Amino acid sequence: MRRAPALALASALALASGVASANPLDTYGFGSRETAMGGAVSASVRGTHASYYNPAGLADTTGFELALGYFRAAHYLSTNGQDNQVDPVRGMNGGLVLPGHVFQVPIAFGIGVHLPDDRISRVRALRQEQPRWEMYDNRNQRLYFATNLALRPFKWLAVGGGLSFMSSTRGRLDITGSANIFRPSQSEVRHEVDADLTAVRYPQAGVKVDLSDSVRAAMVYRGEFQLGLDLTARLRGDISRLTTALYELETHSVNNFLPRQIVLGGSWDIRPWWTANLDLTWIEWSAYVAPVASLNVNLDIPPPQGGWPATITPPETPAPIRLQPLRLSNRIVPRLGTEVLAVQRPRLDVAVRGGYEWAKSPIERQTEGVTYLDLDRHTISAGVGLAARSLVAEIPGEIRVDVHGQLSVMPEETTLKSRPSDFIGDYRASGHIWNLGTTVTFTLDGASRKEAP
Amino acid sequence: MTRARLTAAAAGLAALLLTGRASASPEDIFGYGPRGPAMGGVGTTTASGFEAVYANPALLAAIRRNKLTLGFLGAAYALDARGAGLPGRVGAERARGATVGIDIPIPLGGQLKDRVGAGFAFYTPTDIIVRGRLLYPEKPQFPLLPDRTQSLTLRGGIGVDPGHGVKVGVGFAALAEIVGSVVVATDASGRVGTRVENQLVATYAPALGATWDLPVKEPIRVGVSYRGRLDARFAVSIDGRRLSSLQIPVFNIAGLAQFDPEQLSIEASWHRSPSVLALGVTIKRWSQYPGPIEPTLPCPADEPECGSLVPAKVDYANTLVVHVGGERRVPLGKTTTLALRLGARYEPSPLPDNLPGSEAFSASKKGRVVVPTRYFDADRAIASAGFGVAFRGAFPCDVDAFGQYHHLVPRSVRSDGDTPSDGEVSGRVSVFGMLVGVSF
Repeated sequence: MRRAPALALASALALASGVASANPLDTYGFGSRETAMGGAVSASVRGTHASYYNPAGLADTTGFELALGYFRAAHYLSTNGQDNQVDPVRGMNGGLVLPGHVFQVPIAFGIGVHLPDDRISRVRALRQEQPRWEMYDNRNQRLYFATNLALRPFKWLAVGGGLSFMSSTRGRLDITGSANIFRPSQSEVRHEVDADLTAVRYPQAGVKVDLSDSVRAAMVYRGEFQLGLDLTARLRGDISRLTTALYELETHSVNNFLPRQIVLGGSWDIRPWWTANLDLTWIEWSAYVAPVASLNVNLDIPPPQGGWPATITPPETPAPIRLQPLRLSNRIVPRLGTEVLAVQRPRLDVAVRGGYEWAKSPIERQTEGVTYLDLDRHTISAGVGLAARSLVAEIPGEIRVDVHGQLSVMPEETTLKSRPSDFIGDYRASGHIWNLGTTVTFTLDGASRKEAP
Repeated sequence: MTRARLTAAAAGLAALLLTGRASASPEDIFGYGPRGPAMGGVGTTTASGFEAVYANPALLAAIRRNKLTLGFLGAAYALDARGAGLPGRVGAERARGATVGIDIPIPLGGQLKDRVGAGFAFYTPTDIIVRGRLLYPEKPQFPLLPDRTQSLTLRGGIGVDPGHGVKVGVGFAALAEIVGSVVVATDASGRVGTRVENQLVATYAPALGATWDLPVKEPIRVGVSYRGRLDARFAVSIDGRRLSSLQIPVFNIAGLAQFDPEQLSIEASWHRSPSVLALGVTIKRWSQYPGPIEPTLPCPADEPECGSLVPAKVDYANTLVVHVGGERRVPLGKTTTLALRLGARYEPSPLPDNLPGSEAFSASKKGRVVVPTRYFDADRAIASAGFGVAFRGAFPCDVDAFGQYHHLVPRSVRSDGDTPSDGEVSGRVSVFGMLVGVSF
């Protein structure tokens, strides 16, 4: 079927909604030590990476801390044995912590950042019928930026909280002039744009309680957020001196939905050199909003005098998009982590770490219509950390180098569609993800408190 | 040139008009931090704390305490363009934003003890992060003023004190720009499909600075600071060529949403406790500004004279801004100090008096017309004042406030076109800011 330019272009804009995306740190971790421990660190984290895992942990930072790291997560996700070329997630991460005292109460201010290599964020819109790896395709291609404040009012209690930032988009687009459909380059059109990136802030907060010298408990809350994309477009003007056209369009969609999360965690120093952690993360996936645009269209193209030339098929108002529901279920994600201090010298420590996470897919099986691919994910991780103290007089503190490796395995599943005429049909899906990275941390001005234990 | 403008020039700033006129993004229009905005925008040799990331990163080397500063800034515009077909008062949204500043002394030891400091600063409008407002040129607008203050800016820097009265520093400024594509195509089954990919991409500009405490009897400091060009585009291409047999062009929906020109500031200040007095100039390369909007249909390489509509090419002029400011500290007790600040600035406009017309298509005439380019701007004479109270007790903190009054020096702006447009420009901008900083 042929469509006129105005109709097609406006339709395209209408569909400028993104595939859902959320928080890359939920999937790939933040910091090599924490990632190596499976992300099960809410009760033992301190320093820069507490900005994400538990802001209360910032209060345990004993000196100015600056962390800088890099990771690359490569996806090998396939359907029917064919790799789906899902883009890797890669970028720098890190931040800083400024500790101090107010009225003799320890406080700390922290910033945590994950900056993808190529962009701050990406919105990628596909037809709703087109299969996509909902949780991995575009979900993690975005910046994470959070600021937090923490204090330790009692020796056994630390609390912290702050805000993370992202942006929604709303815009108005106007194109006017004369479209020459016989010699396109001779078209006389111009445009006007009024677009805003609007601020979206969502909260996080945490508490950490030292139950004894060797046991700690934690609770963390991460707020829900969603990024709206509101777009209006108007195309009006002349079509090759034959007639005039008016096309008006309004669309609204939600991108980057991040569900609310509550984490309960514990950390136990089994031996002075051995720590074991457990985190349980409740994720409210049932509130998920499908990343499909709602659409209102008004099209007015009167036929020219004498009718349309035989070579031209006038455009028609597109049928409204019937949104297919996407149902997700709440999930509890268990994470286990451990750390062993293998070498302990006055000026050098070496730690060995490991972790495991099981994330059951929240997406219910789809037997017709849309195909949002997702699978249960088992993730194992490991890493090594080396901490050196007082190397030179100019760096009075600790330099730590951590590395991590993480493998996520998604066992194959087969989905059978209920209708033979389904756009996609039956399919098999499976995959795995490799994540490798390193972090360098400088802690200055003050004897670094050892990692638990 | 109007009589009022001549009067202003005769007031002691006439020489500056030779170099043109200026204005830009939030910190460029209002200043940054607790002291500079109250002191006429000086800071290349006088900035303290996080505000040095903008004014001169070399001065970050003087930071000695952790400090977190939160602030609020508000500005109201009354911008007038009077004449035939003009509205008089041109609507402009108020600027409201929050400032977050972080002072970071880097606690190195040995030879580097107390010689390195860093700072970060954010200014973010309360409602938006970036505004991309690219209007048709015939709509009356002040493209260099209100919308430029609707933008988040992130700045960071580090300063080092190598000794001998010298400090040097480097830093960066960051903005976000939008690039993307929309491809519309018909698939094998005859259904229309789209692929949309839009990305936010960071764009950066460098900042460099140095100061030198002159080895003379009087306590005089000189400094220089360079800020690179910082711009953010809005660029989305729309490609419908594979939609059908109809040949339609690729639309280039693009323009420059934010622009800060390359700048060089030179300043000298006299520091004799409890007073500081500073005088400086800033050169701004507005001649690099390509204008806010790009052609919707760029001509193909093999057809450079394709006949598509071309936006007006305005020759923006480089400008020279003069700042003067002072501060006097008054002790209010053993641990409390009051600082009184005063300043003035003259900010010429880079917009020329005569503007070329812009091409458009007239639906009524069924043909091309030249519409007037109704861009307006004017020199600004700015008076500023402020105060700060520093508490140095068990709870060390600072409270600072400032106000600015920008007077748009009346002028005429004429635009060519099939129906030329003459506008008399005037107006004012009122600015207020307050910051609270806590050291810990």
